[in-house]
Amino acid sequence: MEPKIETGWCPGCGNFAIRDVLEKVFADLPILRNKIVLTSGIGQAAKMPQYLDVNYFNGLHGRSLPPAVGIKLARPDLTVIAYSGDGCMYGEGGNHFIQTLRRRLDITILVSENQVYGLTKGQSSPTTALAVKNDLSPGGNPNLPLNPLALAVTMGAPFVARGFAGDKEHLKALIREAILFKGTAVVDILQPCVSFNKINTYAWYRERVFKLERPLTDRYEAIRTADLWGEKIPIGVIYRNDEAPCREIKEIFQVPLTKADVASRLHMRCVMMR
Amino acid sequence: MEFNVLIGGEGGQGAFSVELELTEILTRLNYHFFATKHYMSRIRGGHNFHMVRIADHPVHALNGGKWEMIAALDDETEALHKPDLREDGIFLSRERTKEIGAESKKLFGEIRAANTALVGIILTVIGVTPEKMAEAAEPGKAEWLKKSGDFAVRWGIAGAFPVSAAAVCPAKFDGNQALAFGALLGGCRFLAGYPMTPATSILHYFSEAAEDLPVHFEQAEDEIAAINMALGASYAGVRSMAATSGGGFALMQEGVSLAGMTETPIVIAVAQRPGPATGLPTRTEQGDLNFILHAGHGEFPRVLFAPGSIVETIELARKAFDLSDRYQIPVFLLTDQYFADSVHVIEEEEIPLDVIARECPVFDETYKRYRLTGNGISPLTFPGLSDALVKLDSDEHDEEGKITEDPELRKRMMDKRLKKMGLLKQEAVLPTFCGAMDAAAVVLCWGSNRLIVKEAVERLNAAGLSVCALHFGQVYPLTPAMIAPYRLEAKKRICVENNATGQFTGLLKRELGLAVDHKVLKCDGDCFTVLELYRTLKGLLT
Repeated sequence: MEPKIETGWCPGCGNFAIRDVLEKVFADLPILRNKIVLTSGIGQAAKMPQYLDVNYFNGLHGRSLPPAVGIKLARPDLTVIAYSGDGCMYGEGGNHFIQTLRRRLDITILVSENQVYGLTKGQSSPTTALAVKNDLSPGGNPNLPLNPLALAVTMGAPFVARGFAGDKEHLKALIREAILFKGTAVVDILQPCVSFNKINTYAWYRERVFKLERPLTDRYEAIRTADLWGEKIPIGVIYRNDEAPCREIKEIFQVPLTKADVASRLHMRCVMMR
Repeated sequence: MEFNVLIGGEGGQGAFSVELELTEILTRLNYHFFATKHYMSRIRGGHNFHMVRIADHPVHALNGGKWEMIAALDDETEALHKPDLREDGIFLSRERTKEIGAESKKLFGEIRAANTALVGIILTVIGVTPEKMAEAAEPGKAEWLKKSGDFAVRWGIAGAFPVSAAAVCPAKFDGNQALAFGALLGGCRFLAGYPMTPATSILHYFSEAAEDLPVHFEQAEDEIAAINMALGASYAGVRSMAATSGGGFALMQEGVSLAGMTETPIVIAVAQRPGPATGLPTRTEQGDLNFILHAGHGEFPRVLFAPGSIVETIELARKAFDLSDRYQIPVFLLTDQYFADSVHVIEEEEIPLDVIARECPVFDETYKRYRLTGNGISPLTFPGLSDALVKLDSDEHDEEGKITEDPELRKRMMDKRLKKMGLLKQEAVLPTFCGAMDAAAVVLCWGSNRLIVKEAVERLNAAGLSVCALHFGQVYPLTPAMIAPYRLEAKKRICVENNATGQFTGLLKRELGLAVDHKVLKCDGDCFTVLELYRTLKGLLT
């Protein structure tokens, strides 16, 4: 589909397909549009909120998640979705990714996964395969790629999935399920970068992806499945745990704080030297 | 009349517990006092000492003279501090404190009773009767306290330095407690932080408050996350704060810049400690003024407060949230280890209790987050309250909040943001003056030195020297109106700061063209004492 608005993306970019999917998902959700907040970092993928009609917090590189945590804790009534690329989410923001999964909040984490830094023109990302050559790694990427799905399952994320920008119907169902899931949901979306990744192309993926028939509920089986890459690449819900309880969040927004409340904080014991 | 006592010991020996219990009971007994401490960056061992100045009038600084009493829980206390004991002062040697420990344990079966016994001995020395003590005792400790008087009687020190209780309805606060309390009054509902001395107790006070009030504390994975969480909560509609020390603030800088660009209200408390790098983690310094003043890339308006008393801390913390909200800017609260870890007594009637309630205006779908207005302030609302969508962007953006690279729009947006500085200057918080307007000299200071300088100047006045003091609770922006009434150009000007280079002195020159004749600086990790300042200033004035 042709872009309806001017974007910063290259023609043919996988992000267009994801945007179309997100528009459809938002239109169908049993959630008011004005209750949805997208947070994002910096990068080509992180521009996503700018091209959708929702509330957004387009913050700094690597920092799509901490604002999402702050928003959810302040306003549990909002549907909070963090959206960024693999560089932003797993590289600059890698620790936030790990720590946010530990917080047991009802937020959705969507990652445009193209195994390359797009906006800075083609350097290795945390998910770039070993030995792939680029400007900053002329001798080939010396690092092992990070496996975001296995990491998410290991960290206790109760919903972990992989989508493919080349299969919009499947992706739409997946993202809808992730948003409606009560708990932290991670969807890593294979998104071909037509400018800088000449290996993981639409055609390359189409030959390899296969759909999981049903969500896996065993963590160890999920990790084994998340480990599949190369000849066969699974897409779908890698892990789903409906038993994992979400953290309860106290209402603070517009709940009055009275003079008596504050006075109750007088004559407290000191807790200095720390 | 006043009584200065030092309790020294290894970390974990109970000196801090003695200070805590003593200050609790002194407050209940309506005493004026000031307490502070010197401690090492370790949990057990080393040498820490706690200093309490008890008086029949308000006291808010270390006297700096000889001690009326020293209690040694370790051997180092004798070596380090006994030379500073008054000739007629009381020295509780290591042997005596051991004796207190052994007897308390024998009598009450608990070694903790020894701490309480030491508290009771100190109280007996200043003339508190066993009956009074029992009334003010902490639960279950009345007997321990009462019994402790026996030691004082045995050693002939009961009532050796009588002090009368002259406070009416006292409340005690440490600096960080006052800051957290003021934040609550300012409507702050969300604090995110990562523990770092000497800011951690701010986090503690908030996590405690969150137990039963509609506020939230979140322990972040690092300071970068902390400030970004706070900005997220602020965007969502909740007044928010981040609290840290210099090293943690170094990590927060990108968030400061983000707040500047996105015009997201946030208050950032920085409890300073000596740097560079890890520096002296548990000591004090005012070394981060320039850092905080310039923190964050790019140009955007900000306000820096550096309160110097408990009431001023409560009031400026409260005001910080109001300013931050109305102008949609970062506002900083600078404090330091000395002020954070010092306990002051104020009268309860001095404490403001009015909470600022935040307004949540509602708009329709034509709402633009960064609407260009005459004064640079765009109407602020929050997501999910109406059809208005709230779009926040760290890139340069248009009125709606969408990324732009248009040079004209960039210029207009910069003008819009910076325009707020003019309005902020108009409502600058004026400095606090003390002394005679026609004094021949003025001592300039900021932050935690306020009350040390005040007492030193009062003593200099009593000694016949013509000097006044001016304390800046707002250190940025500085405006000509702040100093206009005092004819500073006609006075000898001395600036007192806890740093090595005189950062505020430089700022006065840069912002107000005010040159200083003498700098009194200290960067050894300790605060000034009144006597120390009195002597230094006297040397400069005569």
